[in-house]
Amino acid sequence: MSTHYEALAKKLMARAKKKGAQQAEVFIEVGREASVRVRDGEIEDLTQATSKGVGIRVFVNKRLGFAWTSDFTEGSLNGFVDRAVQLAAAAAPNPLNGLPDRSSLKGHANVGALFDPAIANLRPEWKIEAAIEMEKAGKSVDPRIKTFESVGAGESVSEVYLASSEGFTGGYQGTYAFLFAVPVAAEGDQLQTSYWVDYKRFFDKLDTPESVGKEAARRAVRMLGAKKVKSQRVPVIFDPMMAASFVGSVASACNGDAVFKQSSFLASKLGEKIAPSTVTIVDDGLLKDGIATSPFDGEGVPTRTTKVVDQGVLNAFLYDAFTARKAKTQSTGNAARGYRTMPHIGTNNLYLQAGDQRPEDIIKGVKNGFYVTAMLGHGANLVTGEFSRGANGLWIENGELTKPVQEVTVAGHLIAMLQGIDAIGNDLTFRGSTAAPTIRFKELTVSGE
Amino acid sequence: MAKPTSSHTNTLLSVPLIERLLSAAMEKGGEFAEVYVERNESCAVILEEKKVKSAQAGLSQGVGVRVISGAKVGYAYSDDLDDEALFRAARTAALIAQGGGSEQTFNVARTPLPTFYRLATPLKNVEVSQKVALVVRANKAAHAYDKRVKQVIATYADSTKRVLVANTKGRMAEDTQDLCRLSTHVVAEGKKGDRRTGFYGGGGRVPFSHFDTFTPEFVATEAARQAVETLGAVDAKAGQQTVVLAPGWSGILLHEAVGHGLEADFIRKGTSLFAGKENQKVASDLVTVIDDGTVANGRGSLNVDDEGNPAQFKVLIERGVLKGFMYDSLNAKLMGKDSSGSGRRESFKHLPLPRMTNTYLAPGESTHDEIIHSVDTGIYCAHFGGGQVDITNGNFVFEVSEAYEINKGKVGRPLKGVTLIGVGPEALKNVSMVGNDPMADPGLGTCGKDGQSVPVGVGLPTIRIDNMTVGGTKLGAA
Repeated sequence: MSTHYEALAKKLMARAKKKGAQQAEVFIEVGREASVRVRDGEIEDLTQATSKGVGIRVFVNKRLGFAWTSDFTEGSLNGFVDRAVQLAAAAAPNPLNGLPDRSSLKGHANVGALFDPAIANLRPEWKIEAAIEMEKAGKSVDPRIKTFESVGAGESVSEVYLASSEGFTGGYQGTYAFLFAVPVAAEGDQLQTSYWVDYKRFFDKLDTPESVGKEAARRAVRMLGAKKVKSQRVPVIFDPMMAASFVGSVASACNGDAVFKQSSFLASKLGEKIAPSTVTIVDDGLLKDGIATSPFDGEGVPTRTTKVVDQGVLNAFLYDAFTARKAKTQSTGNAARGYRTMPHIGTNNLYLQAGDQRPEDIIKGVKNGFYVTAMLGHGANLVTGEFSRGANGLWIENGELTKPVQEVTVAGHLIAMLQGIDAIGNDLTFRGSTAAPTIRFKELTVSGE
Repeated sequence: MAKPTSSHTNTLLSVPLIERLLSAAMEKGGEFAEVYVERNESCAVILEEKKVKSAQAGLSQGVGVRVISGAKVGYAYSDDLDDEALFRAARTAALIAQGGGSEQTFNVARTPLPTFYRLATPLKNVEVSQKVALVVRANKAAHAYDKRVKQVIATYADSTKRVLVANTKGRMAEDTQDLCRLSTHVVAEGKKGDRRTGFYGGGGRVPFSHFDTFTPEFVATEAARQAVETLGAVDAKAGQQTVVLAPGWSGILLHEAVGHGLEADFIRKGTSLFAGKENQKVASDLVTVIDDGTVANGRGSLNVDDEGNPAQFKVLIERGVLKGFMYDSLNAKLMGKDSSGSGRRESFKHLPLPRMTNTYLAPGESTHDEIIHSVDTGIYCAHFGGGQVDITNGNFVFEVSEAYEINKGKVGRPLKGVTLIGVGPEALKNVSMVGNDPMADPGLGTCGKDGQSVPVGVGLPTIRIDNMTVGGTKLGAA
């Protein structure tokens, strides 16, 4: 950590106040990253970078101004502070505008270590070796793994500093390392791809390159020969990666801003039972070792654990300070930001709590249905709750995964989907900041032929 | 610390400094080195809940140095532009080549550029108050359109980006790329809490006076119309159907269904299903696809690409036959071809990739009405949300944000939850009618690839596609 950047944040904040802002906040990000992609056992590209930036948010007579820059020369920094103050004049005054107040900025959440010296001090060659190993392991799975769209590894070390005129200064340092493999399987005229990844804050928690390469290859090969199926209504299972994406859609509908604007299909359902009691969805800024864990959010509010859906009941929406003030509630520590963006509501570590069924037993319980392993398109309309996405995966016949399927859509209404969750796996694993175990929907519409 | 110049006429980095950086980048014996410098000044104004929420301004600047050794690429970037940071980036990128190499000197000379866009007043010099006025007018017009309009978000965003690219082949190009977009998002509420959304907007590499004719009122009214007209929409039938795409923005389908699969990186790696199909029939005779980086003031247009090569007009598919791909310089070199001026990057933080610019379908002979009348039952797709493609298996998906049923040749009730899915070449073979009404999109598109976003244009006349799979929740014979 550098006292230099913390001092700089305070200095710029003070300048904004001197230039006429009643409230000012300065957010600084500093980082370095390196990544590699390989092809046929050789480096394809190797990227190394340093980056930094500062975002300045000010309130002048309840008007909001925002400016950011990556140019840290003194003249530019001062110029952008002044610019933020000037820009506020162009916005409308809003009595609800303002930084989080002093009482909500008290203290940092106790989140343990976010920084792994092992990642900060990795040998530069590790990522090249890891990527080559992934590629080799993937190709060893099946001769039909012809090539890789990409396969690579890397690491990132970053620091965040925040100074708020409402009595807050803080900073933290974090690391992560990652592996990704996107193989291509070929047979006859057909090509199929899939991917597998892992992201971890601590190097010793990262999956082995061999396991990532093999899993990616296994997922691509099993899609060879995929075809459309007939349109029908059947039980549908989402594998953990697709289930995580579904949980992400549900959480987006719990964004306090969308709720306040009546732009979420969940807006009127707080306190209602929207899913079976087996369903608990948690936003957790405190999760041990979590990729999105941090001691405070993008405006200095301590992070916390929020049960968005608690045993099937819609329990809470997610807020930053401004939206919380509009909705007459408290920030949940969900202000997300980078230096170029103003704080806005986002999720921290987000997950669906594990159930008790083994994933293979969930599949066994289906006579005729669809096991979805990839989806295309954004698909979920959070205003209306309609869900419709392109899907790939494997057909289930008599409890067994049989033939690969592509070029179909799965569709339903998010409320009906939530209510229709009739099985939850015990296979919850984080490979990023959003995670879920295998889930089964009682019935969705599959559109094909 | 050396301070970068910010005046419009001065160069981003001096020629002697660039030449020294290229020498440093080649000190380990690379075959090719390139320096890319960018200074991007942006501005945005956001209005929601009937109030101008914020006005913002930002500056992003930095340098990216690329060194190529065989098929290996070394890349380093930094957002500091002082000499120390610049040389550190050059020497880091140099390490991809592991030879000794003797010190070489390089000379670069400025390449004259065409002017497909050149604004007398860069957008960064337009007063913020004028930008604020646009979103205020859009908000007013959207609410005035209909009482059922409940939420309006109006956004104006622009950037004035200066780029300089120079390489060891002696090429140097410098361009100023202005870009702007005004857009409006509307939520309308009908009976029993029925909610529909509408979205419209546009812009391009256009002067600010563009909004004198492409008015905020026009933009907002169109967004409001989409939301209000689709209130009471009924579920679409799932399964295979005939679809008719409205002209203009529907070109996003072409962009996804074939465009990406014709980018040279996917072709070289053998991961696109169009690889090895040059001069083969990949679409119906009615289909001619063009990617044109030279459209005047187009959102995807480039005076020069991000590798210093001139943008081009390229016929990709001619009457159904695959004619060519889109090349950046690295893939071109590895494939024994020439760059097609398609090397683009989001910023100095990214490596160039072969990308589309403005991609459109050439017009046919049918009228819009003839195409609609030809359909017994089907779906008219008036406006699209987003789309996505899996290059490898060719599967693509589109969300149709405004759709209507077609019954006995007439456009009928609005439909909701319509998603189109297909496999690129199959969909192109099923194009059975092409209209004589070509239309460019209003300047809405941003394309994502490998985590990099770049502005693009799309365009399409009215077209009819048979046997398209329509996703939905309602089963029944189509």
